[in-house]
Amino acid sequence: MMLGGVFHAAVLFLVAAGLQLVFGVQKIVNLACGSFYALGAYFAITSVSIATSLGLPGVAFLPVLLLAGLAIGLVGLPVERLLRTVYRRDESHQLLLTFGLLLVFQDVLRFFWGATPRTLDNAYLAYGTAEVLGVRVPTYNLLVIAASIAIAVTLGLFLQRTRTGRIIRATAENREMSEGLGVNSNRVFAAVFTVGCMLGTVGGALVVPASAASLEMAVELVVEAFAVVVIGGLGSMRGAIAGALIVGLIRAVAIMVLPEAEILSIYLVVILALILRPAGLFGKAVA
Amino acid sequence: MQTFSLHIYDMSDLGRALDSQGGNLMNISRRTLMRGIGAAGLAASAPGIFSPAIAQSTPVRVGILAPRSGAMGTIGECGIRAVQWAAERMNKDGGIGGRPIELVIEEETSPKDTIERFRRLVLQEKVDVVQGLISTGVSMGVAPVAEEEGALLIMWDGTTQDGVKEAMPNARYVFRSTDNECEAVMSSLLAVKYFPGKITRIAGINPDYSYGRNNWEAFRQILKRAGVEAEMVAEQWPKVGTMDLTSHVAALKAAKPDFIFSSMLFADLPVFMKQGSAAGLFEGVNLALPAAGWQINQLKKSFMPENIVFGHNTLYFALPTASPLQKAFVDDYMGRFKEAPNWEADRAYFALAAYKAGVEAAQKATGRWPKLDEVIDAIPKQEIQSLGGPARFRVDKIAEQTFYQGLSTNDNSFDFPTLKTVDSFTADQLQKPPGMDFWEWLKTSKLPV
Repeated sequence: MMLGGVFHAAVLFLVAAGLQLVFGVQKIVNLACGSFYALGAYFAITSVSIATSLGLPGVAFLPVLLLAGLAIGLVGLPVERLLRTVYRRDESHQLLLTFGLLLVFQDVLRFFWGATPRTLDNAYLAYGTAEVLGVRVPTYNLLVIAASIAIAVTLGLFLQRTRTGRIIRATAENREMSEGLGVNSNRVFAAVFTVGCMLGTVGGALVVPASAASLEMAVELVVEAFAVVVIGGLGSMRGAIAGALIVGLIRAVAIMVLPEAEILSIYLVVILALILRPAGLFGKAVA
Repeated sequence: MQTFSLHIYDMSDLGRALDSQGGNLMNISRRTLMRGIGAAGLAASAPGIFSPAIAQSTPVRVGILAPRSGAMGTIGECGIRAVQWAAERMNKDGGIGGRPIELVIEEETSPKDTIERFRRLVLQEKVDVVQGLISTGVSMGVAPVAEEEGALLIMWDGTTQDGVKEAMPNARYVFRSTDNECEAVMSSLLAVKYFPGKITRIAGINPDYSYGRNNWEAFRQILKRAGVEAEMVAEQWPKVGTMDLTSHVAALKAAKPDFIFSSMLFADLPVFMKQGSAAGLFEGVNLALPAAGWQINQLKKSFMPENIVFGHNTLYFALPTASPLQKAFVDDYMGRFKEAPNWEADRAYFALAAYKAGVEAAQKATGRWPKLDEVIDAIPKQEIQSLGGPARFRVDKIAEQTFYQGLSTNDNSFDFPTLKTVDSFTADQLQKPPGMDFWEWLKTSKLPV
């Protein structure tokens, strides 16, 4: 049961991390983050279908999914160009624009992939099952958890240890100051937003073999992603990890103990966080 | 007379593609596309029908409300395809009472928006009848408005016990589908029939709304009546459309059931079966899936165990004793769309055929084009040859159709299960009689198994 919760948390983390990264650096609350998740899912289905038609074996599906997620994440580049028009405007403009993008993406998905939910069956079953603590679980779930941890560690090391990471953090702290020191903030923003998108698209690509791609998945996940952000703290990468784990595990426990309270349980925690710790568990920290 | 070819399925797909261009354009395009389908079909195929009489040249306008996206999108699309097929076929045969059928198709979404579209169909489009609706929640909103507007509404689906019955027990203008719980009653009976002594630890995973709640309770009560002493070890209530069911699967597995009953029926059912199969949930476990037929094309053999009590509701596409009508429809449907039709096709066909039969019977009786009240009174007296078999509306305006279920097998040429055994019951064996409470009826009825 806990592994089910951690699997959910692993996917949720990727989307929430993208949301956190973009807010932390660009101060944009990206309501369209769920759209990138959905886009990743749909694009992954097409990519795996192509891979299958090319005769790739089942074990190659996971790399294909990861590559598909990363590739479609490049859609973040043109979207970031659009967002530049509202960087210095009131936050309400940013919210309206990103929410508008969410709706636009929904129709884009409908246009290319249709309204019917799409599934991907072979990839989920290709990896078989594994025994964990005496319980048989789909190996694919474990691979997704591992991939999510690897992405989190890589992202953390990149932001903390690399020169580019330091530039990103400096830009997040003080854009004017970093520009004064010669940093091209436009380029930094484009890179950060694209990486944020890629986190979401990879999340969608990884979840779709176990689940399904539907037009509603963007809105459904964005609500949970914001629950993660409220619990973990806006702009904090550690908050994204903690928040995703809390939401994933609470949901799993509620499903086991009182299934009717699945949604309620998550939002009770959100309400508690808002009352007791309005900035979230790691609200002060910035990526 | 000018003749031309018009493929309504292609036009529909074009309309769907245009949906993505935006709200107003979507509606205008769709209506524009749908308008004239009937008249064109008639012009193309039955030139003798046209006459100078106004009544004969004016189309009968049939409004359709059905989902085209979301969890119910697959279902709505199948119903729309079937009603288009029916309209085309009927138009070739003279339409309704000599007038061509014209479909005006609108989307079923939220109750609020669907009510607005229903009013628009009735007040602006001035349709003669509205058909469709799949969601109980939506139908509960639309049905009272139909009564209020005095507009004829023939539902395809969406009528659980908690549906329109309580809100409007004596509807004048609303014709309901068979009770949605019929399939649960049948699968429960078949579970007792096919798995004697093998139902001891039961788990249920059902959608968390009236349909799922009622089905689960009906299953429990029928087991009780049958003297099956079993322990209920787990109940799961995912909300409709939940696509990550890994925690639900884990919770079910932890309960170690030997029998699972699930009335999931939307796109979440294939996800559940896939995730359950991957987790080994179904090993040594028997299942009853009373409404699985809705997702027939998505339930792949790779994750479907054999010997499931599998419900196809009122249309089983591979029925060995299918009528020529069903065979013609299934062949055409599978040829065009490369997938099997589900039971919503039958519901959609039946709604249109029942209206046609009612109009023509009233027309014959009066010798003129009948008034709405005359049509309403005539419909319940008609025997309809629907896609899934004989069907009719009772005097209380609730449909009676034929239900098909049985044990599934993966031994076939498709990539999804078919039925190894086919059991069929008529709705009067599975549905409460007029005016009776469902739960009281369950306690006292003479059940067919």
